[in-house]
Amino acid sequence: MVGSGGASASEAAQLARLEEQAAHGGGGAWEYLCLVRRLKARRPEPVLRLGLSLLNDSKARSKLGSEEWTLYEQVAIAAMDCQNIDVAKDCIGKLKKKFPESLRVGRLEGMLLEAKGAWAEAERAYAVLLENNPNDQLLHKRKIAMAKAQGNTTLAVDYLNKYLEIFMADHDAWRELAEIYVSLLMYKQAAFCYEELILAQPMVALYQISYADVLYTMGGMENIQTAKKYYSSALKLTGGKNTRALYGACLCSGAINQLSKGRNKEEESSELQALAAEVLTKEYKRQAPAKVPIVTEMLKTMKLS
Amino acid sequence: MGLGFVVGIIGGFLIAHAAFSTIQYRGELKIMEEQFTGPPFNAVIELLVGLGLCLWAGLAVPTKFLSILPHSDENRVVSLPANLDFMVFNHRGKVLPSNPDLKLKI
Repeated sequence: MVGSGGASASEAAQLARLEEQAAHGGGGAWEYLCLVRRLKARRPEPVLRLGLSLLNDSKARSKLGSEEWTLYEQVAIAAMDCQNIDVAKDCIGKLKKKFPESLRVGRLEGMLLEAKGAWAEAERAYAVLLENNPNDQLLHKRKIAMAKAQGNTTLAVDYLNKYLEIFMADHDAWRELAEIYVSLLMYKQAAFCYEELILAQPMVALYQISYADVLYTMGGMENIQTAKKYYSSALKLTGGKNTRALYGACLCSGAINQLSKGRNKEEESSELQALAAEVLTKEYKRQAPAKVPIVTEMLKTMKLS
Repeated sequence: MGLGFVVGIIGGFLIAHAAFSTIQYRGELKIMEEQFTGPPFNAVIELLVGLGLCLWAGLAVPTKFLSILPHSDENRVVSLPANLDFMVFNHRGKVLPSNPDLKLKI
């Protein structure tokens, strides 16, 4: 229901609960692993531990049937993330025995070379795979990830732009490009990427919050006013439950007040600032009562400035 | 859910019966060459009762309705997926001690 993945509040709570339960030996390991796969969460340690416990138990493994191979893939990637190269090699070995000419296994081998730090060999492996499958999206993305991992951000940006010219609808790629631009302090380009994301998925508040963050960082009266509008939209989408959007709304109103000190103040509705401040203090009182004095102090200085 | 189905079927049957009796009534009026002003009172009552039963069954038979509010807990996105396609492995986690017991038994 929510586009290309991402965890809703109830799903995130369920994930945490299952992780807790499985960590204390309460079962539900397979359920947890399926949920991690569905939500595309990055949890290498529990996945490695629980996945290995399932794979090493021959009874549990036979119960999985054909899903066993997906589990091998998942555990291999988690092992690479935890720098446990031996487990990854063993899992990929098993997969290669079962599916000898598979592109998917070839990709995993490339990723293993990446994890080992053998960039040139990985590059060669991907080049060979790309010859036979020139339109495979994941191979292109791995090349981009390799450029990023080697610190060659300009090359990564180059590759990403070329990739997006072909696969324009890939939201993950737009997001990755936006984050790389932000890390390079190229805010205008990052804003463009976030605009694409908002157009593609207007109901996901997090893109709007990131966009508003970038606009606020760029500064200037117009940008901050637009940022305030996007923070308000995010507040509407999340029912006021997103703390970052609340902070954003307060800070934007404070910044606008400061910028328009010299000129005559237009009748901006200061309702937003008052309401956002109120909800913020209420949230803090509920979740972190020790920090409430800091928050009230900060809000007071903003209202005065 | 069984009860919901039965109630729904009864409601549907009542509506069909009301329609049938109205058609019959109209046929009789044609024989007596009078104007057809409206369905008989009984048929209208039957129709309304059937409508009520079908409505109740339509809401009771599906087990759980999904939430449509964008800010309810089931729909509110709190975290985006970790962009696993662009995942890199040379992060700071490399220096964390890895558990040597974790091995795949062939």
